[in-house]
Amino acid sequence: MKLFIFAWHPTPRMQGNTSAVKADNQKNNTMNYPYGKAAFFILLMALVTGTAHFAVSFRRQVEKPDLVMAIFAPNHEEAYRAVLGEFEEQHGVKVQLQLVSQRALQSRLQSALLTGADVPDLVELLEGTIGFFARGPLEDVGFVDLTDRLHAEGIYDRMVPSRFSLWSSRGRIFALPNDVHPVTLAYRRDLIEELGIDVDQIETWDDFVAMGRSVVQDLTGDGNFDRYALDTPLGGIAVIRILLLQRGGQLFDEQGGVAFDTELTADTIAWYVRQTTGPDRIGYDAGWGQSLAKAMNDGLVLFYFCPDWRTKQFEMDVPNLKGKLGLMPLPAWEPGGRRTSTWGGTGLAITKASERQELAWELAKFLYLNEEELSARFRATNIISPLKDSWSAPVLDEERAFYGGQAIGRLLADLAPQTPPTYISPYSNLAQNKLAEVYLGAVAYYNRHGEAGLKEHIRKELTAQADYVRRVIDRNVFLQTDEGGAQ
Amino acid sequence: MKGSRKRAITPWVFLGPYLILTAVFFVYPFINSIWLAFHQTNGPRSAVFVGLSNFRFVLSDPDFYTAVKNTSIYAVVSVMIQLPLSLGLAMLLNSGKSRVRNLFRLILFSPHLVGQIFVGILFSVIFTPRYGLFNRGLQELVGWGLEERWLANPSLVMPALIIVSMWLYVGFNMIYFLAALQSVDKNLLDAAHVDGASPMQTFRHVIIPQIKAVAIFVVVMSTIGSYQLFELPYALLGGFGPNNSGLTIVGYLYSTAFETGDLGTGAAIGWLLAFVIFIISTIQIKLAKVE
Amino acid sequence: MNTIHITLVFLVAIYGILRWGYPRKAEIASGYLRYVLLGIAAFLILCPFVWLVCAVFKDKDVLMQYTFLPAVSDWSTKTLNFNNFRALFAGEDTVQGRVYFQEYVINSLFLASTATSINLFFASMGGYALSKYEFRGRQGIMAFMIGSMMFPSMLFLAPVYRMIFAFGWMDTYLALLVPGACSVFGMFLFRQSMTSVPDSLIEAARIDGASEFGIYFNIIMPLVRPITGAFCLITFLGSWNSFIGPQVFIQTQSKLTLPVVLNQYMGVYTQQYGVFLAGTLLAIIPPAVLFFALQKEFVSGLTSGGVKG
Repeated sequence: MKLFIFAWHPTPRMQGNTSAVKADNQKNNTMNYPYGKAAFFILLMALVTGTAHFAVSFRRQVEKPDLVMAIFAPNHEEAYRAVLGEFEEQHGVKVQLQLVSQRALQSRLQSALLTGADVPDLVELLEGTIGFFARGPLEDVGFVDLTDRLHAEGIYDRMVPSRFSLWSSRGRIFALPNDVHPVTLAYRRDLIEELGIDVDQIETWDDFVAMGRSVVQDLTGDGNFDRYALDTPLGGIAVIRILLLQRGGQLFDEQGGVAFDTELTADTIAWYVRQTTGPDRIGYDAGWGQSLAKAMNDGLVLFYFCPDWRTKQFEMDVPNLKGKLGLMPLPAWEPGGRRTSTWGGTGLAITKASERQELAWELAKFLYLNEEELSARFRATNIISPLKDSWSAPVLDEERAFYGGQAIGRLLADLAPQTPPTYISPYSNLAQNKLAEVYLGAVAYYNRHGEAGLKEHIRKELTAQADYVRRVIDRNVFLQTDEGGAQ
Repeated sequence: MKGSRKRAITPWVFLGPYLILTAVFFVYPFINSIWLAFHQTNGPRSAVFVGLSNFRFVLSDPDFYTAVKNTSIYAVVSVMIQLPLSLGLAMLLNSGKSRVRNLFRLILFSPHLVGQIFVGILFSVIFTPRYGLFNRGLQELVGWGLEERWLANPSLVMPALIIVSMWLYVGFNMIYFLAALQSVDKNLLDAAHVDGASPMQTFRHVIIPQIKAVAIFVVVMSTIGSYQLFELPYALLGGFGPNNSGLTIVGYLYSTAFETGDLGTGAAIGWLLAFVIFIISTIQIKLAKVE
Repeated sequence: MNTIHITLVFLVAIYGILRWGYPRKAEIASGYLRYVLLGIAAFLILCPFVWLVCAVFKDKDVLMQYTFLPAVSDWSTKTLNFNNFRALFAGEDTVQGRVYFQEYVINSLFLASTATSINLFFASMGGYALSKYEFRGRQGIMAFMIGSMMFPSMLFLAPVYRMIFAFGWMDTYLALLVPGACSVFGMFLFRQSMTSVPDSLIEAARIDGASEFGIYFNIIMPLVRPITGAFCLITFLGSWNSFIGPQVFIQTQSKLTLPVVLNQYMGVYTQQYGVFLAGTLLAIIPPAVLFFALQKEFVSGLTSGGVKG
C-alpha cells in the first residue's frame, strides 16, 4: 500500500515543470481553448458522433418486417429466397432473411435471449448449440418448446426419429431438424482407377486399412510420403466422433449422462491413433479451405469423409475436379455392419421473444416440410431432408456430372435410415475438448512407446476425463432440479 | 458563518459523482460478489445457494491450475526478461541527445497505442506458418521456423504470447525507467566517475539505489498487469489455444462467467485472483524492503 | 548468407574498426554501438506496422506471396488495390439489417469521446475537492481510493453484470459509460496537479465574489491544461481499446465497437486476412493522431505517478 502512496505524492520538481508549461500556455491562445485543444476536440467529437449514432439507429428502427429469420449458411439463403415470395403472398406478410456469422450469432444470442434484447423470430442453429442454450432451467431456454406441436400435427412420425436427438434437452424438442447428414467417403475416382482399386471390394475398415497401406507412398523419394489414403481433418476429434457414432457409441446417453468412457471409445481412439501416427499411418490432415483444395487437386489424399453437405462444398472448392470424384458408403466395422455415420446438422428454432410465434411456425413448416421446396433445396445444397416422404423424390435420382454421373442423392438417401442418433448435452463442447486432449495425449504416447500399453493409457485417460465432465455436470443445480421435477 | 458552512459542504458536492458511483459500482458489487461466490447462476436471472461448492470446484479443476500456471509463467517471464530489456533500452537512450531520445522514445512506445485486441489480431496473421512475417523473418535469420505452427502447437503458444507481449510492453516500461534515469543526480555520477568507478560499479552503487523505487513500482505494476492478462491471448488465439495452452486466470473467469453463464463460479474465481495478486504483491514489496 | 546476415556482419565489422582502430576514442565506438542497438530495437518495433500498411493494399491473391510489397516492376491493380477497404465498407447483413463498417467507427468514437468528456468533468472535480479543501474524512477517502485500486476490476464484472441487467441497461451505452464515469486514477492525477496552484489565487477570487464552482471551472481548470490533455489521451485510449465491456454488455450488432467487431471478423474472414487487417489499420489511426498531438503531455502524465522516490 505504501508504495502507491509514495507514487502519488507531488514533488517540487514536477510542480516546477507544470507551472512552467502553464505560464507558456497562458501566453498562447488561452482565449480560444481555455481547457486545451484536446478537451475541446474530444467534446466536439462526442457531440458530432453522438448525433450521427442516434440518427443511424433511429433510421434503423423505422424499417421493421413482420418476421425476421437469421441463418448462417449462404447456400440456405439462396434456396430460401427462391421460395419466400410464395409464403409472403399466401400470408400477406413481409419476411426478412438475414445471413449472419455463426460465431456472432451464438455468442450474442444467448445473452440476448436471457436479457430480452432484440432477437430474430426464427433462428437456424448449428448442431450442438441447443445444449448451449439449454444449460439452465427449462423455462429459461429462449426457444419455443415444439414437442407437443410436433406430435399433435403428426410431424414427429414423418421424420427420421434419430434426428430429433440433436435438438432435445431433457426430453423436450426445441428445433425442427433440417437434415440427416449421412456420411460417405468421397474419393478421387480417376486415381483410384489408375491404382486398380475397386471400391466395391472395400467393405470393412480392415479392408480399407489394408488397401491404404498399399497406396501410401513416397513418390518423389525425398523421405516424405506424397500420397495418403485418408483425410483426417480438424485435429482428430471430428473424425473420432464420426467413427464412434458409426460403431453405435455416443459422447452422452439419451438422458445427457456422460457415456464416452467405454471400451468402444478406447478402441476407436487407438485405431485412429495408429492410422494418423507413425510409419504405418494412412491418414493426413489436409486442413480446410485453400489447403484442402490443394491437397485434393494434387492427389495428396485419396479418400475424404464426406457427409451430404460436403459434396456441395467440393463442387464449389475444387470445380476443376469435375467428373473425377466418386462417393462410396463408409466401410463397416464388421461385415454387414452400419455403412454410414453423421456429421453436423442444422435446426430451425422459434424464439420465445417473437411476437408472431404462430406465423413463425407456419414459415418453419413451409420451409422444412414442403416437398417442392425440399427438391429445390436438394439441387442447391445436396442436403437430404429428415422427412421420409421426400426420399422418393425424383430429384434424388438425378445423375451428377461432377461425381462422374453417379446418382449421389440415391446413395445418400439409401444410407439415411441407418444414420445413428447423436445425443447432445450442454457439455458437448467440453466433452469434445476433453476427448481431443485424450487423443493428443495418445498420439504423444504412441510416438514414445508404440503399441505397448497404448490401450491401457487411453482407457485411463478416458476414465479421468469422463469423471471430470461428470463432475462439471453434477455441479449444475439447474439440470438436477429439473430432472427431479420431471420424474 | 454562513460562508464557511457552505464551504464545508462544497468539497462533498465536488466529490458527489465519485461517492455515488463508488457506492453503486464498487461497494455494492464488492459485497454482492461475496454473496455471488456462494451461488450458482444461469446468466443474470436465476441464482441458487450452493455453499462452498464454487470454490471447491475451482480449486479441484485442472483447467484452473493450467490457467494459474500459464499466467504465472507469463508474469515471471515478463518481469525477468521484459523489464531488464526495458531498463537496458532506457539506459541506451538516457545519454543520447534529447531530440534523438524523443524520436526513439516515440517509436519504442508506439505499440502501446494499439489495443491488446488489435495487437492479437495483427499477430495472429504475422504468425501464419510459411507465409507470416515472423515465420519468414525467423527463417531468414536463423534458417529455421518457416513451418512452425506457433498458435496451433501447444508448446509454442506461450513463447508466441511472450514475444507479442514484449513487442507491446518493452517500450511502455522503458518510459518509466527512462524518466527515473533522467532524474538521477548528475553530481553523484560525476563524483563516481572522478573516483574511478567502473560502469558496473556506478550502475550498482549509484544508479540502482536511485531508481529502486521506480523499479519496484514497475515490477509490482507489471506483475499485477500480467495476472490480469486476457484480451491479448484471446484475440491472438481466437479463444484459449490448443489444449488450453493460452488459458489465463481472467480467461478462465470470462469463459466460466460469460460463455458458460455461471456468474457465481466467476465471482469465486475473481476472489481467488484477488487473493493471488494480493499475496504476490505483498511478497514483492516485503522482499524489496528487506533489501 | 542473405541480406539480413550481411547487414549484421557489416554492422559488427564497423564496430570492430571503431573499437580497435581508434582505441583512444572509446566513446565513438560506444556511441555507435548504442545507436545500432537502438536502431535494431526500433526496426523490430516498427516492422509489424510497416507490414500491416503493406498488407492492406495487397490483393488477396498475393497477400501471402510477398512479405512486404511486390517488386516495383510487379506493381499493378492486380497486386495492389483498395479491394480490402471496399470489402470492409461494403457492409454486412445482420439481425438488425445491413450494418456498415463506418457505423462501428462512429460507435467507437462516440463512446470513447463521451467517456472521456464525462470522466474529465467528474475526475477533475474530485481532484479539486481533494487538493484545495480541508475537511474531515479527506484522508479516509484517499486511503479508500488507494485501497480500491488494489482490486482487479474483473472481480466486479459478474456482480456489475447482474446490476446492469436489473437496471435494464443491458445492450445500452449506459452500461459502458456509467460504471467507469469517474476514474480514481484521474482524481489523483488532477489532485496532484492542482495542489501546486497557489491558494492565494483562490482566495483572491473568493474576495472578488466568485462562486466555488466558478473558481474550479474558470480559474483552476484552465491552469491544469497539460494534465487535462494527458488525462484525455489516457482515457480515450483506454475506452477506444476496451473489449470486455462491449463484448459482455452489448448484444445488438449495430451497436458494437471496433475491437469486438474486428475480433469477430477474424472468424468470418479467415480466408481474407486483408479485410480485417484493413479494419485494424483504420482502428489504430484515431489514437495515433491524438497521441502525436499530445505526446509531451501524455508522457509526463503517465510518468508523474511513478517517477519519484
